[in-house]
Amino acid sequence: MGSVKVEQLTKEFSGVKALHDINLDIQEGEFFALLGPSGCGKTTTMRCIAGFEQPTSGEIRIGDQVVNQIPPNKRSCGMVFQSYALFPHMDVFDNVAYSLNIKQLKTSHPLKRLSIYVRMFNKKLSKYPTDIEDRVRKILEYVELDKYANRLTSELSGGQQQRVALARALVMEPKVLLMDEPLSNLDQKLRHTMRTTIRRIQQDLKITTIFVTHDQEEAMSMADRVAVMKDGQVIQIGTPTELYSQPATPFIADFVGTSNILQGKVISSKANQSIVQINGKQIKSTYHTDKKEVNVIIRPENITILSDDTLPSELDVNIFVGEIKESTYLGSTVRYEVLIDESTLIVDTSYFSGRGILTEGTKVQLAVSSERVLLI
Amino acid sequence: MKKRKALSGLTIVKILLYIFFGLFLLLPLFSVFLVSFTGQPMNILGALTNSNIMSSTIEKLKGFSLEHYKEIFTNKGYYAALLNSLWLALLVSVIVIIVCIPIAYGIARTKMPFKKTISALCTIPLIVPTFISAYAFIIMFGRSGWVTYIYQILGGDGLFINPYSMTGIIMVQVFFFFPYALWPMVAAFKVSDISLEEASRNLGAKNWLTFVTVTFPLAIPGILSTVLIIFAVSFSDFGSPIILAPKDLNLLVVEAYREIAGFFNWAGAAILTVVMILVAAFFFWLQHLVTKNRNYGSVSGKPKLQKLNDNKILTRVLSAYSAVIVLVPVFAMLSIFVQSIATTWGKDPLPNGYTLKHYQTIFTSSLGNIQNSIVLAIGALLLSVIIATFISYFVVRQNNAKLDFMISIPLVVPGIAFGIALIQTFNTAPLQLTGTALILIIGYTIRRLPYMIRSTMGTMRAIKQDIEEAAINLGASQLTAALTVIGPLMLPGIAAGSILVFITVIKETSISILLAPAEWAPMSLAIFQNILRGEYYSAAAMSVILVVLVLILQAIANKLTKKQQE
Repeated sequence: MGSVKVEQLTKEFSGVKALHDINLDIQEGEFFALLGPSGCGKTTTMRCIAGFEQPTSGEIRIGDQVVNQIPPNKRSCGMVFQSYALFPHMDVFDNVAYSLNIKQLKTSHPLKRLSIYVRMFNKKLSKYPTDIEDRVRKILEYVELDKYANRLTSELSGGQQQRVALARALVMEPKVLLMDEPLSNLDQKLRHTMRTTIRRIQQDLKITTIFVTHDQEEAMSMADRVAVMKDGQVIQIGTPTELYSQPATPFIADFVGTSNILQGKVISSKANQSIVQINGKQIKSTYHTDKKEVNVIIRPENITILSDDTLPSELDVNIFVGEIKESTYLGSTVRYEVLIDESTLIVDTSYFSGRGILTEGTKVQLAVSSERVLLI
Repeated sequence: MKKRKALSGLTIVKILLYIFFGLFLLLPLFSVFLVSFTGQPMNILGALTNSNIMSSTIEKLKGFSLEHYKEIFTNKGYYAALLNSLWLALLVSVIVIIVCIPIAYGIARTKMPFKKTISALCTIPLIVPTFISAYAFIIMFGRSGWVTYIYQILGGDGLFINPYSMTGIIMVQVFFFFPYALWPMVAAFKVSDISLEEASRNLGAKNWLTFVTVTFPLAIPGILSTVLIIFAVSFSDFGSPIILAPKDLNLLVVEAYREIAGFFNWAGAAILTVVMILVAAFFFWLQHLVTKNRNYGSVSGKPKLQKLNDNKILTRVLSAYSAVIVLVPVFAMLSIFVQSIATTWGKDPLPNGYTLKHYQTIFTSSLGNIQNSIVLAIGALLLSVIIATFISYFVVRQNNAKLDFMISIPLVVPGIAFGIALIQTFNTAPLQLTGTALILIIGYTIRRLPYMIRSTMGTMRAIKQDIEEAAINLGASQLTAALTVIGPLMLPGIAAGSILVFITVIKETSISILLAPAEWAPMSLAIFQNILRGEYYSAAAMSVILVVLVLILQAIANKLTKKQQE
């Protein structure tokens, strides 16, 4: 097991920068997600760690060791590929045993090697030693595939193939487990089960895990910490709650959950009281800012629709008056688009607030606590 | 990963491949090229190892001039040979196209009767070496041929067609090369957009008008590309001209063979070789230009249901016509078979008696030739398997353009030209290989490698990159990954490809005739010599054995590729 440290990693593909000054410090036993839209460089970062890409500059450490010069087959990074990359000519057992065979191959006498090659080609011709047999059986039991040991991988379902890939990576007891969009080929329901399975296994084995995904929900629900990437750069690293409540940029605010992002002029800003002007209306926020122009971020669920007769008594609540433009029923919540002056605010309310669904054109009053008005 | 400096197993393999191709493909071609300017045999390898040879080589290089190239235009023989060869190739390719259009249309777009049988029979010409086909035409059209007999009974005078003539060579090439054009044309007809034809019919055009104005023009690029292929194939063909060309008909391949085998005229042979390569390369290049942006093999989307023409008169006429064309090679092969079991077969339609004596002779006195063929073919097969597997790997996985280019060279170089280049380069120390089995095997391998590689590269492309990365990630070196994962996954492709190599090596004529020493004479050389000596009956028997061997192997290869596609 080991920590992973990436320092000032840069990668160019024929002159085009794919990664720009990536710094990551992943603790031993941590479940770390690389999150970003496609083309952001998350997979390239992972491939650099695995050794499939050679960094243009920068340093990668696994444990205490700088691995830049170590070839991918000696890095001890177990990888689960997006397509699983199972060997189609081998059955489940042989797939999982592959790394153990290779390991034995490297340490054996040349004559013995031939029998290992023969075994990898067809195990009927040359038997597995009991220690390998036991280890493979054990890991297959662990991922609940022991009954399928002699099936060809093409005869398995997507979720089972996924678990074979996981078992194959885990059996060699790697220092780091790398997973490249492992859930993207599964259907919605299976994806949810596999999330829990993977998280459980990771917690169980306490194995340092790096997980690449474009699905923010996946990253937020599984990882201890998440690095959000965009255009080859890391924009923010934090726990899921940090990313949600304190996004570093409007991009993250929008990418991690839904946000209302408004441009405003800063009128005044003190330690915990700022006043920002948007479309001629002043808005209070408890956040401090040094900028003159800011992005004002308000999460849809932090906006409440007031009943006609109640007027808020607190001083630090912002009130908007607007008109419902559109409503979408999402099951437990209702999402409204409310037109206020020229801008539109997205508002999420509970369907069970007793009001039913408001129709288009209804005039409403909205309230947002100044604590919930983020300034970036 | 690629930039690693340490010499990994794969890097060593790559270096060995470069050495192999450098030594046995580029060096011979380069040295023939030099000889064509200096007019004297060169020993470049010797020059690199021995200072005396070096100084004499430099001396020879001083005689570098374009003088010898003038000979092409001043030496009447050479000039006529070039013109005749071009003329032959042009006529053959045009006639083949005209002959093929109705058959291709019939197979692709109509419900003509006996379509399957006709398609199956179309493969026969492909498995027969051209010098055997040429010989078959002599049996049929020669002075004592049965066609001649029938012709004279019907009141004809003399020969129906003289096989020993330009016409004879054209006939053989047309009837035995047409399948090369047929299948691409069938594909072109199948691909052309049905909805366009429906549109044309919808606008009121009749069937034949639709064909002339829509179907045919759409297939033109495909047809043009086949014309060029047939041109190059006909231009490079050695088998039929060497058997059929009369003394007064000069053809490049025959002329080059005579210069080297008859007179040891290095300068003349070298110039003819260079000219042959340039012409063949030019036409392959043209063909490449035509097909560059088209891919007839892969039609995107789901195959559309084609409406097949079922006009009774049309389909019957097409079927009858196709049968006539297809039956000529069949009759040619039957003639050889009949001759092989004939006691004597003179000026009558059928032999005087039947016997298995000729086969007996072959199995007692010529068994060696069959063994040689098989041993040489196995040697070439093993070498091809190894080289093709690794080259496919380097080309597909590492985008190695140099190797990709290298393996396309043998496709362009006519066999006789390559043979001359090999003899010229390896007939003296330090690497005196001429007259050994090794040079034969190497020559066969290089010449037939492209066919093998086509098969292995296809399989390699089907194996996704991440499968290999997974193996490496699990601790395997690149070489181990190649041996344990890529190799086993490629087996079906390798098997199919190697049988193809085996077949083509057994059929190979030009290299065998030029390079094979007496003790390593393969079947093709034995047949050739028997024909020259007038021992027709044993030549026929040996031909039958060769064709049967090829047939069996081809059937196995087809089975394998079918399995792979499933």
